Amino acid sequence: MEASAPGTMNDASIHPGTDEREPEATDEKLMAAFTHGSMDAFGQLFSRYKQPLYGFFRRRIGDPAQAEELTQETFLAILRPSSRPSSRYEPRASFRTYLYAVGFNLLRAHRRKTTFRAMFFGAAPEGHEPAVRNTADTEVFLREALSQLDRQDREILLLREFEQLDYTEIAEVLNLPLNTVRSRLFRARAKLRELLAAPASRPSTKTFTEYEERV
Amino acid sequence: MNATAHIVAPEEIMAFIDGEISVTEAQAVSAHLEDCAECAALADELRATSRSLVRWEVEAMPPRLEASIKELAGKSGNGFASARPRAFRGSRWSPWHWRFWAIGTGSVAAAVLILAVSLATSHRNDRQPFVEDSIQRASESLESVDGALADKMATDLRPRTEGKDSKERRATSMAQVSTSPSAAPMAGVAGMMGDRFSGGVLAPPPPPQSPPGGPMIARSVSLVIRVKDVDHSRSALDGILARYRGYSAQLNLTRSENTARSLQASLRIPAPELPSALADLKTLGSVENESQSGEEVTQQHMDLVARLKTARETEERYRAILEQRTGKISDVLEVEQAIARVRGEIESMEAEQKALEQRVDFASVEIQLSEEYKAPLNSPDDSAGTRIHNAFVAGYRNAKETLLGFLLFFEEYGPSLAIWLAILALPVVLIWRRYKKVRSRF
Repeated sequence: MEASAPGTMNDASIHPGTDEREPEATDEKLMAAFTHGSMDAFGQLFSRYKQPLYGFFRRRIGDPAQAEELTQETFLAILRPSSRPSSRYEPRASFRTYLYAVGFNLLRAHRRKTTFRAMFFGAAPEGHEPAVRNTADTEVFLREALSQLDRQDREILLLREFEQLDYTEIAEVLNLPLNTVRSRLFRARAKLRELLAAPASRPSTKTFTEYEERV
Repeated sequence: MNATAHIVAPEEIMAFIDGEISVTEAQAVSAHLEDCAECAALADELRATSRSLVRWEVEAMPPRLEASIKELAGKSGNGFASARPRAFRGSRWSPWHWRFWAIGTGSVAAAVLILAVSLATSHRNDRQPFVEDSIQRASESLESVDGALADKMATDLRPRTEGKDSKERRATSMAQVSTSPSAAPMAGVAGMMGDRFSGGVLAPPPPPQSPPGGPMIARSVSLVIRVKDVDHSRSALDGILARYRGYSAQLNLTRSENTARSLQASLRIPAPELPSALADLKTLGSVENESQSGEEVTQQHMDLVARLKTARETEERYRAILEQRTGKISDVLEVEQAIARVRGEIESMEAEQKALEQRVDFASVEIQLSEEYKAPLNSPDDSAGTRIHNAFVAGYRNAKETLLGFLLFFEEYGPSLAIWLAILALPVVLIWRRYKKVRSRF
């Protein structure tokens, strides 16, 4: 359906969850090996997740430099977990959940800092370099539409659509009840559909509104 | 197709597309989607939304970042204990660092200042420590006066003379006493305690020419003593009075419901016996308060004596005139009247002198004995009904008072609170707006 431009990678297509080439080593096994000291296991995890995690920050932060920095910080946090319980890896949890939870915590801290600084010192210059040159229009259009969603709804939608987390994983990462994730995801999709369809035609909006009223 | 025909909720359809429902449920939804065009349209729209999002692609991770992370991972593998390296893009804080600290330090300083001012204000209202301090200082100065007076008394044990010399001596002694500001009223006490402190270190050197005559000091002591049993203490008090040949000028025993009994007495103790009598009195119970004062009446006494002497001489001269009997009868009568007037004056002055000497010879001791309050075991309690009623009434009154208090508070402070609120709300609203605006950007 979508044409991948040369030199770009759609992280959903290479996502480890759908990757069937290495059935013998799951993320969790690799993580277990890494906690026992195997740097090779970390290398494999890194190559699996470098692009998804980079995309995770890249889509959420306008400034590519900040996204790079946060990507590095996330991997560093996994390399050297702090003593806080939230940053510890529990063998029961899936590695993806752990990775995105760590990333999400760092993202939140970054947002807090940026908001704080912007409030008291004025906004820092933020480069709005498009993620990919030839999809600049798509990015701007989607960013604009997504920015109109409720913060939490947007987060749930992004985790679902780009990070391909299932509902349970989203609930774990965001620390929300499962039902909330489901209803908010539906709300976010309905709203986004409206926003994306708004410039063109209205009929679909009406259909969605009807659906929402029935829920 | 109407709404009642939809057997699956829209959220179910979404969950079906996301693969989040069980196989049996999925079959039901899938069957429904084939039947229901409306639901099928919804499913298509959901899929289309997802597709339009997936069009948003992100460029590959920059190779320098990948290299940097791999390098860090290599370091970490070699030694976990290695210090955390600086962030990928250094100097992350530098543009904001100093302003951040400046604002932080400024606000902390302001908070400390406000705290200090409020503490100082509240401290000024709290006078208690100051009073205790001044009491301590007074007692210190008292001791220094003790020494001074003891010394003086030791050197002054000679017969008293009248005249210029004596006046000079008194002036000297007053000067000694008033070396400390709070010492003057304490002079009497010091004299009484003199024997204990004779040869006090703080005593100034004795006056070079010490004229004879000791000071006349009228002493008064006030004691508040807490005793176990007032009746027992009263008999002990009588014993002490008998032993020191004192007497009680006034005695008052009170006892009222639900309070401790207390005894108030005004005692007269011969002055030389006062220290030992006081020591005995203090054994009655624990002393809660003790104050002593002395009034120097030497000059008053001497004036009186001098005036008395003059009056007596005048009387003698009148009598001499009368004995000559050379004048007219009216003159004689006039002299008789003058003698009567002088006689009256003499007698009143003699009475005054006697009273003064009495005050000097007998120290006045105001003593108050109060009993420790013991709640009676078998006190008649009110009946349960009465108490419930009383508690209810009290509760009602308290509630009314509280409500009224609130009302009064808002009436009194409401307008100024509203003003402050308006003043403070403005920056808060501005900051909040800015925060919302800024927050929506990230």
